[in-house]
Amino acid sequence: MIPIELYIGLSAIIFSIGLYGLMTQRNGIRILMSVELMLNAANINLVAFSSYNADLTGQVFALYSIALAACEAAIGFAILMAIFKMKGTINLDSINILRW
Amino acid sequence: MAENLMLFAPELTLVLTGLFVLMVGLFLPTGAKKVLGYLASIGILVALSLTVSSLGTEGMAFNDTLSVDALSQFFKIVFLVVALIVSIASIKYTEGNSHTEEFYALSIFATIGMMFVASANDIMVLFVAFELASLATYALAGFEKKNQKSLEAALKYFIIGSLSAAMLLFGISFIYGLTGTTSIPGIAANITALSTSPMGIVAVVLMLAGFGFKIALVPFHMWAPDTYQGAPSVVSALLAAGSKKMGIVAAFKIFIVALIALQAEWQIAFAILAVVTMTYGNVVALKQTSVKRMLAYSSLAQAGYISMAFVVLTPLALGGGILYALSHGFMKAGAFIVTAAVAYMVLSDNKDSEDTDHIDNFKGLGVRMPITALSMTIFVFALAGIPLTAGYMSKFVLFSSTIQSGFAWLAVIAILNSAISLYYYAKIVKYMYFLPTDLEKVSEPLPYVAALLIAVAGVFAIGFWPEPFIHWAMEAAMVLIPGGM
Repeated sequence: MIPIELYIGLSAIIFSIGLYGLMTQRNGIRILMSVELMLNAANINLVAFSSYNADLTGQVFALYSIALAACEAAIGFAILMAIFKMKGTINLDSINILRW
Repeated sequence: MAENLMLFAPELTLVLTGLFVLMVGLFLPTGAKKVLGYLASIGILVALSLTVSSLGTEGMAFNDTLSVDALSQFFKIVFLVVALIVSIASIKYTEGNSHTEEFYALSIFATIGMMFVASANDIMVLFVAFELASLATYALAGFEKKNQKSLEAALKYFIIGSLSAAMLLFGISFIYGLTGTTSIPGIAANITALSTSPMGIVAVVLMLAGFGFKIALVPFHMWAPDTYQGAPSVVSALLAAGSKKMGIVAAFKIFIVALIALQAEWQIAFAILAVVTMTYGNVVALKQTSVKRMLAYSSLAQAGYISMAFVVLTPLALGGGILYALSHGFMKAGAFIVTAAVAYMVLSDNKDSEDTDHIDNFKGLGVRMPITALSMTIFVFALAGIPLTAGYMSKFVLFSSTIQSGFAWLAVIAILNSAISLYYYAKIVKYMYFLPTDLEKVSEPLPYVAALLIAVAGVFAIGFWPEPFIHWAMEAAMVLIPGGM
């Protein structure tokens, strides 16, 4: 059996890639992809722990969170679509009218 | 099972109302959609009266994943009252809009999510309900899809919101992995696995960041001023008064019930966050020219005050924090409804004006919209903590319990902050009553006036008869720390 540390390491790496992408990318779609990475890192953790604890709750939780991630992507794309229709771009640098 | 289901009669009423409004709206012409606002308000009112009439009942349902107790009842009433104020005011806001049914359905779904967070007894249910409320409010923030500000507000809220959801879920996965359960009391029972592992710290930090974003604690606040300013005012009211309280009740459940054994780790973090948040919020609010943005920063400061409850952790302080959540619901929802009424006034002067929330629009409001101006005065003075208002009572309970428990330095910082905040609140009053305007009086739309009167009534009820409310908040606090520590 693969030691659980490897799963936790994998999920930590994926989570960090997602976080890095979220902070550095300027394109709306790439931001959404980064968020998906972060959510899926958590799913890997949930499933791995579930398997090692011999408890199904984690896998059920992972299914819920996959469904939620899909909803979140839908809302995100809807907002990006509305912005694209208005401005013709989804580059985040061009969305800057609200600031102090 | 049927009895268990009855415990959730208010939520079920709201689910039915939301779906009904959505369906009926499909078949109505735009002109007749005003009736949806009344339907939604009646549904929320029924849910509110069901909750109030079932006060004192306790019980568990759905395999112990949901619990009804004093804490959940208290916060459910906070959310329902805010939803009622918002939905009444929105009758005017959505007038003539062809997407009225979506607005009401989304705001009702958001309220349902918040209510389930308040009764969640399992991290999985808590997370799903948390997301229900968040997803509905992302869409609501971008409701004016031809308005650049509204879209920008929605996008910023969405990005930060999904970041916070991902952090929460990552944190939850560690908590689940080490304790082997998702039940909140179960986590508290198996906490040794978490508190002896370095993963415990990771989980606490991730959860703190996740909830910090939702409650808008500095340094996780960047989205809040932009979103509250850009979103439609009625939605800002729902966000500031409802969604923020959801973050607070979720944090109460996770930190104080489930992770109490890791108290040493998060207590000091909350102390720092509370101080930084209230100071930053009040200082930055001083120089804002947009009233909505000013209210957003003042809302940060208020979240900082409420976070003091996490530091002090006595029943009285938690009761104070919970009471503050109720008072803040009335005060902040009311204040944002005022900005909605002012925006309506400005737009009726000039259809194309863009900065409807600029403080110059408040000039001479005392003459132009007397009821709105008077309510705004009451709300801002309540937010500043002037006696005989809800703000004073809740600050009094919270700050005095802080001093009693030996955190005098924290109380002193909070009181100094209240003094700073008086400056920008008084500035609004000065604009409304002492600066002249040559524009004439506007007739105030009835829905806004009704919503404002409910909020004013709440502010004064807690201010004049605080005892029942304090007693009630204390009962809710006892759910969090049964032994009284």
